[in-house]
Amino acid sequence: MSEWDTLIGTALVGTGRRPPPADLLAGVVAPGTLPVDGTEATVLASAAVLGTRRRAGWLPPAWQGTPRDAAAADDRPECSAAAAQLLELLLDRSIRVDGGNEPLIAYWLHACEAAGHRPPAQLVVPLLQAGTTVPELREAVRSAAGARGGWLGTHNRRWAWAVPADVAGAAGQFGTATRAERLALLATLREVDPQLARGLVEQTWTAEQAASRAALVDTLAIGLSDADEPFLESVLDDRAPTVRAAAAALLDRLPHSRRAARMAQRVRALTRQDSTIELPGEPDAAARRDGITDRREPGHGLHASWLIQIVGAAPLQSPPGTTALRQADPAVIAGWTKAALRQQDIRWLTALAQSDPTAELLRALPPEVGTRIVSELSTVDARFAALLAACPGPWPATFSSAVIERLRTVRTDRVLATAFPGLAQHLDTTALTGVESWLAETSHDSKARRRTLRSLAHALTIRSAIDQEFS
Amino acid sequence: MGSRWTVEQVLALAPDGGSVKAARTLARPRTWSALGSTDSLVWGKCQGSAREPYQVTVDVTEPAFRCSCPSRKFPCKHGLALLLMWAAHDGAVADLDTASDFAAQWAAGRQERSARRATGSPPDPEAAATRQAERERLMTAGLDDFERWLFDVVRQGLATVRTQPPQFWDDTAARLVDAQVPGLAERVRTMGAVVHARADWAEYLLDQLGRWYLAVRAWRRRATLPADALGDLRALLGWARRSEEVLAGERVHDRWWVLGLRQEEDERLLSQRTWLYGQNSSEMVVLLDFAAAGGTLRVPQVLGSVLDGELALYPGSAPRRALLAGEHTVTTGDGLPVTDTVLGALDKAATWLAGNPWLDRIPMALGEITLMPGEQDAVLVDRAGSALPVAAGTDVWPLLALSGGHPVEVFGEWIDNRFHPCSVAAAGKLVSV
Repeated sequence: MSEWDTLIGTALVGTGRRPPPADLLAGVVAPGTLPVDGTEATVLASAAVLGTRRRAGWLPPAWQGTPRDAAAADDRPECSAAAAQLLELLLDRSIRVDGGNEPLIAYWLHACEAAGHRPPAQLVVPLLQAGTTVPELREAVRSAAGARGGWLGTHNRRWAWAVPADVAGAAGQFGTATRAERLALLATLREVDPQLARGLVEQTWTAEQAASRAALVDTLAIGLSDADEPFLESVLDDRAPTVRAAAAALLDRLPHSRRAARMAQRVRALTRQDSTIELPGEPDAAARRDGITDRREPGHGLHASWLIQIVGAAPLQSPPGTTALRQADPAVIAGWTKAALRQQDIRWLTALAQSDPTAELLRALPPEVGTRIVSELSTVDARFAALLAACPGPWPATFSSAVIERLRTVRTDRVLATAFPGLAQHLDTTALTGVESWLAETSHDSKARRRTLRSLAHALTIRSAIDQEFS
Repeated sequence: MGSRWTVEQVLALAPDGGSVKAARTLARPRTWSALGSTDSLVWGKCQGSAREPYQVTVDVTEPAFRCSCPSRKFPCKHGLALLLMWAAHDGAVADLDTASDFAAQWAAGRQERSARRATGSPPDPEAAATRQAERERLMTAGLDDFERWLFDVVRQGLATVRTQPPQFWDDTAARLVDAQVPGLAERVRTMGAVVHARADWAEYLLDQLGRWYLAVRAWRRRATLPADALGDLRALLGWARRSEEVLAGERVHDRWWVLGLRQEEDERLLSQRTWLYGQNSSEMVVLLDFAAAGGTLRVPQVLGSVLDGELALYPGSAPRRALLAGEHTVTTGDGLPVTDTVLGALDKAATWLAGNPWLDRIPMALGEITLMPGEQDAVLVDRAGSALPVAAGTDVWPLLALSGGHPVEVFGEWIDNRFHPCSVAAAGKLVSV
């Protein structure tokens, strides 16, 4: 027992009950160098001497753990200090933009990746935190944070999404993982090696419960291709309706599937001489197997809903002319719209949007087509603003300035407010001068409008600063 | 009879809502004695947590406040409570012709000071010596009283002391404040919570008791103590030095590297420590800045920069406290100018502790050190395999992100056998963690 432990023992019970041993400091200080008077003074003086000795004499333990691999090197050059500062201000919300900072963070990350740079290491943690709360940012964060981000993900469960998929080890982990882990593993694996991932699903398929089977089929939505068709076709015979529905939903997206061919056959059978389509009757067993249900499409009757499901799952031919589209039955249009969106058919999407633009269609179109359709709209009203907000970016410079000029003609603030999210994200930065002159000419009484315009100018300024730092 | 204020006028002086609430509770004649007022002064004695009642005086012509309580709020709750009772006009604060002694003394002192400021006459050295002697007498009496308390703690035993209510620590702290030993008072006050918060409370308390007793003994020998030891003692007791006094003392010109910054905030105080290293003198010094809670600190030096210029050093042992003196040219440094192994840094720590046993925060610049994130507590391991525990509650992720698991240079503070990282050198640049 050390002198210190003896002293603690005495101090705990108190000198009133147990006096300290007389020779407490015998080996520590030379006799006579520390004159003390009384037992309490002895304990306190000893505490001063032994406490200091103990603190000053502390020795570090030898580390016994197993060292883990360090992060791999990242060869990309670090972005400029000014660029890093911008990102930091966006991440810690020192800069705030109406509608949230996330679009600007995504903008920064894409600009950084396009320039072949990387963010500084001290911003990797805030980036991972941003990606954890906002899943839409994850892909951009994962590629920007690179090896350092993936390595940190192996140390922190919450950032596991940042770890690159380990294709080789996946099969081994899959057998022993929990359901949630397996789904996460499949989601990452489908992006790198979809065939391997589907193989894993097929391996354990017959032993799975219905709820798990439906969730497993859902993971195939990532990286879906015709190679998945044979498996999905077989799942149409599954015992559980939820599982069959999950497979049918994926087959809707594969126009070369056997199911799509059967749907095409059904459409042909319903097509009259004059190319118009008649409403189907009660689905037969084969149609039921292909996933036709009695669920009503909003605004349509039962028979029309069957038609929409059939047309929506059939492969698309070339789109008809504008007049034919205008005259087509609403149910057929609804079916074509579903099919065009599922099959990502740009020609059809363009044709449908030209005939009757909706936010849903515009969102699926490339920027150059979307902006052309919006610029052809004759009136600037709430519908215009909603379509504009749905139109993907980046918007060309001429379109951007034209949009600002057209919005300036509107009296109400609601149109500008509706269009704001799209404007802040996609407007070309050269439109900033237009926005600023509009702001200068806006009366100070129009508080709401001035506020919106200021936010817009703010967002455009930040984006142009980002562009500059990565040019 | 001078016109008294309204309650609204009094409350308009309150620094915050908490003070108003506290003042209203205190504004009851039962807790007060020697109440009175003249045309210009209101005074009274309020029985607070300390043994002696607080002496409160207000000059309502300005208004100016004086209270012997330790509160850093201004005006304090006692001053406000006194004015509330005065404003209530219910006879509790009587109108008198002459002020109470303590109130009159303060008012006279104020008049004298303002008169001296007006005429610009130099301070009276004789009066200064008297004031110093008076302060030392007060401190001596307070520390004698504190020694008796320490003896009593050791006699009762630490296990018994731990069961005492917070009042036990607060009362002693308040008496130390009255004796003008605020530094020691603060340590005693916080101990009341620490004995319940720490698993190793007994060892910690005994170690602190030893240090406090050492301060009492050192105080008695202050006449024969070397200047640096006296400096350390004054810093512990909280006998502040005026910055003019420090600036007139020892100065060192050097290239001072800004190694680490740390800010702390408790319920009363914001504090900021800036660690500097002199390239030529090899001296490690610290700049301390304070502000009342809710206030603003001086703009800190930029981490990783190098200040070329003079520092004025406080009397004391290394690592010493310093003040910026005069102009500095600022350049950017490249990482840490000096690093140690774990054993090397601990060796320095032991040397510094031998010089100043009251040293709480020991600066450490560690080279080639790897952060190992553990299941419970992270550790820093050097090439030789010696491990320093990282303080619990430290956010290790920034350090981990910057190092990527590779050995790096880290600067931090060694407090109570735990390492608190401040900054890390990444690609030749110091980054705060």
